[in-house]
Amino acid sequence: MKPFAYVRATSVAEASRLLTAGSAAMAGGTDLLGLMKGGIASPSRVVDLTGIDGLRGWSRERGAGLRIGALTPLVDLETSDQLARLLPIVRQALAVAATLQLRNAGTVGGNLLQRNRCWYFRDEAVPCWLKGGTRCFAAEGENEHHAIVGTARGCNRVAPSDLAPALIAHDARVTLASARGNRSVTLADLFTDPALHSREEHTIKRGEILTEVHVPESGLQRRGAYLKAMERKTWSFATVSVAAAARVRDGKLRDSRVVLGGVAPVPWRVAAAEAEIDGHPFSDAVARRAADVLLADAAPLAKNGYKVPLAKELVRRALARIAAA
Amino acid sequence: MTRVVRTRNEFEGEVMEQLALVQGEDVPAWPEGAELGIVGHAHRRIEGAAKVTGRARYTHDVQLPGMLHARVLRSPHPRARVRHVDPSRALALPGVRSVLHRFNAPKTAFRGEDTIFREEVRFVGDEVAAVAADTEEIADAALDLVAVDYEVLPHVVDLEEAIDDASPRIDEKGNVHDADRHERGDVKKAFSNADLVVEGTYRTSTQLHNSLETHGAVAVWDGDLLTVYESTQHVFGVRAGLQAALHLPFGKIRVLCEHMGGGFGSKGGIGKYTVIAALFARELGAPVRCVLDRREENVAAGNRSATVQRVKIAGREGRITVIAHDSWSNVGQARWVADPTGPTKGLYDVPNVLARAYRVVTNTGSLSAFRAPGYVEGTFALESAIDELADGMGVDPLALRRRHAEAVSDPVSKMRYSLKRLVDCYDIGAEEIGWSRRKRGGLRGSAPGLRRGLGMASQLWSGGGTPPAYATVHLNPDGTAVVRIGTQDIGTGTRTVIAQVCAEELGIALHDVRVEIGDTDSPYAPISAGSLTVASVTPAVRLAAKDAREQLLDVAAGVLEVGRAELRVENGAVVSPGARTPIAKVFEDLANYTVIGKGSRMPNPDDLVLKTFGAHFAEVEVDPATGVVSVDRIVAVHDVGRIIDPLTARSQVEGGVIQALGFALSEERVVDRATGRVLTASLETYKVPTVRDVPRIVVRFVDVPDTAANNVGAKGLGEPPMIPAAAAVANAVANALGVRVRHLPLTPRRVLDALAAGS
Repeated sequence: MKPFAYVRATSVAEASRLLTAGSAAMAGGTDLLGLMKGGIASPSRVVDLTGIDGLRGWSRERGAGLRIGALTPLVDLETSDQLARLLPIVRQALAVAATLQLRNAGTVGGNLLQRNRCWYFRDEAVPCWLKGGTRCFAAEGENEHHAIVGTARGCNRVAPSDLAPALIAHDARVTLASARGNRSVTLADLFTDPALHSREEHTIKRGEILTEVHVPESGLQRRGAYLKAMERKTWSFATVSVAAAARVRDGKLRDSRVVLGGVAPVPWRVAAAEAEIDGHPFSDAVARRAADVLLADAAPLAKNGYKVPLAKELVRRALARIAAA
Repeated sequence: MTRVVRTRNEFEGEVMEQLALVQGEDVPAWPEGAELGIVGHAHRRIEGAAKVTGRARYTHDVQLPGMLHARVLRSPHPRARVRHVDPSRALALPGVRSVLHRFNAPKTAFRGEDTIFREEVRFVGDEVAAVAADTEEIADAALDLVAVDYEVLPHVVDLEEAIDDASPRIDEKGNVHDADRHERGDVKKAFSNADLVVEGTYRTSTQLHNSLETHGAVAVWDGDLLTVYESTQHVFGVRAGLQAALHLPFGKIRVLCEHMGGGFGSKGGIGKYTVIAALFARELGAPVRCVLDRREENVAAGNRSATVQRVKIAGREGRITVIAHDSWSNVGQARWVADPTGPTKGLYDVPNVLARAYRVVTNTGSLSAFRAPGYVEGTFALESAIDELADGMGVDPLALRRRHAEAVSDPVSKMRYSLKRLVDCYDIGAEEIGWSRRKRGGLRGSAPGLRRGLGMASQLWSGGGTPPAYATVHLNPDGTAVVRIGTQDIGTGTRTVIAQVCAEELGIALHDVRVEIGDTDSPYAPISAGSLTVASVTPAVRLAAKDAREQLLDVAAGVLEVGRAELRVENGAVVSPGARTPIAKVFEDLANYTVIGKGSRMPNPDDLVLKTFGAHFAEVEVDPATGVVSVDRIVAVHDVGRIIDPLTARSQVEGGVIQALGFALSEERVVDRATGRVLTASLETYKVPTVRDVPRIVVRFVDVPDTAANNVGAKGLGEPPMIPAAAAVANAVANALGVRVRHLPLTPRRVLDALAAGS
């Protein structure tokens, strides 16, 4: 780890001013410290956000949706029975995320902004494309954990967060604040479109701080389910995960969202797949059709073909769970 | 009286004859059914409180005044020639004290080579240079400043690619080397006469030890006396390694290992870090600490070889008639192979066998022993093939094994076993798991779509122990005692069982025994590997305690003026007809008297083979749509002679089963072919089981003392529980699915791929 300066900011404006080139924002630090110890991130200044008041906890105003402060520890969301009644998918997703120790330290904002887990990216000695190199080492290498869909030339990483697909399925937005003011984007848009060939995984700009997650009232009206496949029972990133949500009435699903984690560089969603579901009397055949459409463009690498049937199966199960609830 | 004896010893599958020096006479083993007060009963570990409160000092905890820190620069290339090393920029960094590399390091004998810094580095992680500095951080920063000029050479890292003739030859004599061959009967004829021949190729992945305490040493010189603290399974082995590397007399080396955080076979002798610490400490006149970080541990500190194994097996009239087993192991750069064909040769009484093992060199980190090296991998292939044959012949796989499990002699040496209760293991395990429920094609699972299966596999291993091992027992005038023996407790409970045997034989309470181990200034004891420790050291401890007890009785007879034959020691007191005199009372008028009892490990019997046996039964549930294997229950039954402490024994089995389940289901070193880099060098990517992955483990012992083996009747249990669990799980999964996955670990990916291929 390279020596660095440490500053604890006490306001968003101060943090924003401190987050100049070469600085890194830190909340729980569970990802940043790993990146620094691994030589992947070498900030000259670490700006600790935990001294900023007002970014912890969640609240709901009837009609105005749910607001979650970005510094809220993951464990606080997971263990809140009230929140579990309001938005059950959050507990489902967090219960299988990381470990309890990591969820104690990790925050909502940090979880959404964590870097990907590609084992070539995480090895400082590998000059992969995402780190400024010329090629993706996974393309011809060890790619069992890599993307099957939605990749562009250069990078086969997958989006690792458990929380992101779950919140996207409920139309969450995030607030990005800076000394210049605030802007609100959909959580889906926080992830950089691979087609842009950007070496940034997130669209957050220098000097911006993710301060809040907002789930609109319409998102709270959906029933959701989160399922995750892993290589052991805990402390494992998803090989495939699925978040599904919809309004359910008279045996039909409407306003459905199906979002996959672990299969694409960004949380993976295809509107046409949701169109297969919306308004049709729900059946296993409908779910299968939706899954097929969702993965119609899948182009697996040499060692990750198993993710296609696995993802389709999890989609089927998640939709069945919503429909049956 | 001291005399030299010849003894036979089996270590990690290799049988050797050796001479040993013994003293005194042996006593008969405590017989079956003997009423013992301490041995055979459960006790908490005597060092348990120190461990759970953090007081136990491990090598990593050693902090000495003025201690410096060494870090190792490792090759970024899988194969390269080191042409030039320029340390000048590193040396200019404030706090850096010295840099060692191949052009300035003294010649040091190290495992058959004459340097610790090779000219040709042979894997990513091979040692290139070392830096000593005031802090670990400075040493780390300095590594980046050592300029090395490499000539990069062609490499190969994958086992099957290395076997292929088209790959670069990285060794003058080729990549594939003959390692072992065994043939008995008429294999060709047996195959042609068979009713059914089944053939399969089985693959196992490289398993990393991941000891929680990584490899490391702290070295300090006091004048010409070198003291080394090392996390090791063999303090005397470290001493021998240092003697060879630094040309020091034994009397000028002391090696200490008070507590250690796991070794599993990988800490059998010195490492390059030991030599680096000692060289820097001598040069700089200060203590030097050199311990590996987790990445180094998983790159350069040993592993269980990946294997590819071809097994061809045939049966006739409901029996196995012939097995042909060829096995290739990826050893990295090692000059030995952990032969996976051991179980094929010796587990079952099969008349015709051809077993061949090959050593394949690659540009990866070398193997080191790993808890039943070879046998874990080989048992998976053999026991999978036997199940495939049984299914093909329409015979219950356990019934088929029984037909070959009753032999009383070892099929390789033709000598009789001292004791063999394998069939008892089958009976106990089958009853416990409910084997009669097993159906060909598996059972329905607990939810729609899930499949359930039962499987089992057998265990063969050595574990008889060996001389030389010596102990002393100092009996203090107040009736407390100190046992001193140069063994080490590698986390298995050795301290506790030594104390139990001493207390039992001496007639004092367990808490009155202190055990001093992990120090080469104590009498010699063998390496804590090969399941040797209990059967090697406890018989010597027993004799030392007996010697002390007899001297105590001599004293008591004089003091109490009672015939010696009428005296015995019981619960800390000398018991005479009608009287009980506490030991302290016996010595009351003999101030500062120390009774010194001595004992040595006697030779193994000439005419018997000492083996351990066992069987594991697994019940699993598999989700064919997600490929997830959930182990519901493991029943582990072992026949290892007398159980000295049922609690430490059970812990040993649980640990072995869990480590085997990792090998079976999730643990796999992944190496990038193009760069030679280990991609799974962290505990996040290299998936050892978490507590959530651990199923119910039912542990049972046959618990009949092997009275022919040694005076305690105990054999080793370190490795046996690692051996059959993966094979049992693989057989259970095949039973559940009707499809066999022949490649460990059985990750969801492999299960789904196998189901898709319908293999």
